[in-house]
Amino acid sequence: MTMRLVFSVLALAVLAVAPALLGEYQTYLLTLTLIWAIMALSMGLVLGFVGQINLGQAAFVAIAAYVSSVLRLRYGLDYWVAAPIALAAVVLTAALVGLLTLRLRGPFFVLVMLAFAEIVRLVIANWQDVTNGPLGLRGIMPPDPILGLRFDTKSSFYYLVLFALVAVVIALARLVRSRTGQMLVAVREDEILAEFVGIPVMRQKVIGLCISAFVAGVGGLLLAPFLTVLSPSQFTLFAAADMIVMVVVGGVGTLAGPVLGAIFLVYVPELLSFTSQFRPIMMGILLIVVTIFAPKGLIGLLETLANRTRSPPAATVAKKEGSHAS
Amino acid sequence: MLAQQIANGLVLGSIYALSALGFTLIFGAARVVNFAYGEVLMLGAFFTLTLVTVLDVNFFVALPIAMAGIAVLSVVLFYTTLRPVMQGSFTSLHSELQIILVTLGLLYVLHEGAILIWGTAPRSLEMGIEGVLIVGDVVMTYKRLVVIGIMILLVGGLYWLLYRTKIGKALRAIAQNREGANAIGLNADRIVAFVFAVSGAMACAAGSLLGTLYAVDSTMGSGPILKSFVIVIFGGLGSVPGAIVGGLVIGLIETLGGAYISFAFKDVFTFLALIAMLLLRPAGLFGRAAA
Repeated sequence: MTMRLVFSVLALAVLAVAPALLGEYQTYLLTLTLIWAIMALSMGLVLGFVGQINLGQAAFVAIAAYVSSVLRLRYGLDYWVAAPIALAAVVLTAALVGLLTLRLRGPFFVLVMLAFAEIVRLVIANWQDVTNGPLGLRGIMPPDPILGLRFDTKSSFYYLVLFALVAVVIALARLVRSRTGQMLVAVREDEILAEFVGIPVMRQKVIGLCISAFVAGVGGLLLAPFLTVLSPSQFTLFAAADMIVMVVVGGVGTLAGPVLGAIFLVYVPELLSFTSQFRPIMMGILLIVVTIFAPKGLIGLLETLANRTRSPPAATVAKKEGSHAS
Repeated sequence: MLAQQIANGLVLGSIYALSALGFTLIFGAARVVNFAYGEVLMLGAFFTLTLVTVLDVNFFVALPIAMAGIAVLSVVLFYTTLRPVMQGSFTSLHSELQIILVTLGLLYVLHEGAILIWGTAPRSLEMGIEGVLIVGDVVMTYKRLVVIGIMILLVGGLYWLLYRTKIGKALRAIAQNREGANAIGLNADRIVAFVFAVSGAMACAAGSLLGTLYAVDSTMGSGPILKSFVIVIFGGLGSVPGAIVGGLVIGLIETLGGAYISFAFKDVFTFLALIAMLLLRPAGLFGRAAA
């Protein structure tokens, strides 16, 4: 646990000084990575702790991004007034959708959430008066100043995103260890048994979906001013699938996994200077290869690696095993 | 006007039924929700298109060859990507997630692979049949009649395969009870591979027919796959008659809703129909109660 804490603090320190060392473009890229990390975390919660694949996750991002941007652009609302309204809209939608769909298991849930995502996308594409249809919303401003803080430069916006990511990670870390988190895991592992020991299964699943939708919504709130344009084509099945790839590549069922996955999937194509043409095919191949050969993802690989380097003296192995359990 | 719309709805519905059949077969026999299915359909259309344009053969010669090609490709994809994750306990949630993840990965690979090979520009696929049939108020091109004809032929063939052949019997046994089928010595892997071949061939036919009516392009798979999801849930996951009836019903809902209520929201109607169905009768029209 302490090792993990040291790593987290180190990572945070690196991320905090990064914009001072990096150029404009690299800061932009890092901001994008962190926003993806937030969205991947929301997917990770569903995948790892509710035990479902939610192809509707992109719709939650879309709802938050669109509601907040429409309120700002058309009704002149302040970002910090529009944001909670948008989040409330997302959570409400998630609760309604969850009540209808979480009764369904396995493929049924996956397919219905996909249908939900399509409905949201089609409504956005066709409700021209409000959303400007397929042409999309343009000229979304950076978040308005609050408490004397301004977000109109690349690096100041980066710090806002970093703050949001840290807040989400801390909140989710607490959630996982809380009663609700434990109950979610129990439900994931064995729904019937969980019901039997008195866990309100349906309520827990809906709460799980609402929390994950909230996190996805936070991602959407940041994505809109980051991209400055929104259009329905950004929220197809592929957007949700991208989040899934990040979670799976990073490691399902962990908090570091989705963050690691987001970093990996933004920077690897960048470093290999792939043209954007090859990025999706790489995503696909990675998803297949990781699922088949390394179902625990990068985190799993790192853990095996760490264990192997530590392993030679048998006595220490035993000790480490003990500390792992705590 | 109404008769014309119904005729159009039935043509669209037969293609939907055809594409849903391949999808539902895989689910029925292997419990695989194949997200890459739409891309297989798109590849099928491109196979046929390539045969017709590059080798200059007739559409009706190219179609069966392309179907065979896609069938082989499907079997290869099954053995290389899906079988490794299907070996664990068959009904476990973990394995189910892995299968969905792998087919999502295939969705990317096939989609992007097709773009790399054939580009993104839509192309037209000619069947080589012109002319129209006029019955009362209804105008129908011969092309559309051929589409319905091929669909009836393939459905007939599928029924023959399922109910009159040994492998069909084995396939139904696997779909009903996998462990039991294994216990009496059926080789599940080979039968599932066979289902993938049949499903790929169906997808290829559906894609090629869609291509002759509209156009062949790299995004043409996303519509039919979503429709297939809706149809198989509507008709019952894994049910063959459900896919046929569901396909026709969804084709009609879409055409009539588009004509009389709102064209822009025509796809929303089908999804609403799906959600209503799930709430009222989750097993679908022809489905067995969910396990």
